[in-house]
Amino acid sequence: MSFREKSAWVMGAIMLATGVFYAQLVAGAPQAPVIGPLIPYVLAVVVFSIVAQVGLAIASPKEANAPADERERSAIDRAGNWSGMVLGFGVVSAIIMYIGGGTATLMVHAIVGALIVSTVAEYALQIYFFRRSV
Amino acid sequence: MGKRPPITNRVRELRDEHDRMSQAALGEAVGVTRHTIIAIEQGRYSPSLETAFRIARLFGVGLEDVFGWEGE
Repeated sequence: MSFREKSAWVMGAIMLATGVFYAQLVAGAPQAPVIGPLIPYVLAVVVFSIVAQVGLAIASPKEANAPADERERSAIDRAGNWSGMVLGFGVVSAIIMYIGGGTATLMVHAIVGALIVSTVAEYALQIYFFRRSV
Repeated sequence: MGKRPPITNRVRELRDEHDRMSQAALGEAVGVTRHTIIAIEQGRYSPSLETAFRIARLFGVGLEDVFGWEGE
């Protein structure tokens, strides 16, 4: 497994855990803002992501320092393209929900949720395209 | 897995003919990762024209001596 695939697995798992945590917060109090508990969690995610990336880079320093090659760039670009569509769909759906009578808090939850889902999708698609070889 | 590109290649054979050059060494010489060389050899990935030329030039052969169209 290449460095970039390992990195995608780790970051995808972190973002999936973030999504589950955020969904639990929202399910507990759908109409309440969740900024309070979310800030320390986001900081923990940032620190853990850096630690994980550093750990992977130490394990494969040569690959970590090398730029993505043509196959990897193509996989990353395609994954980014599809995940952008997921994000766009989520954001437009959130706006439609708001226009249709939803609260601003729910719209924010939907947009943050779309951001998390699109990021998870981006890493999952990167793994898929790396394995499929684009 | 996706549809395989209809391009065949002799990269593995040429590596063996060149002192059993490793996939990592070939990748480094032409500017791609070892995983990309593996994917090319397995027929799962068609390299760019630039990389194809780099591989052919490295082995001192023509492009069509390395890559071919399936069935030809």
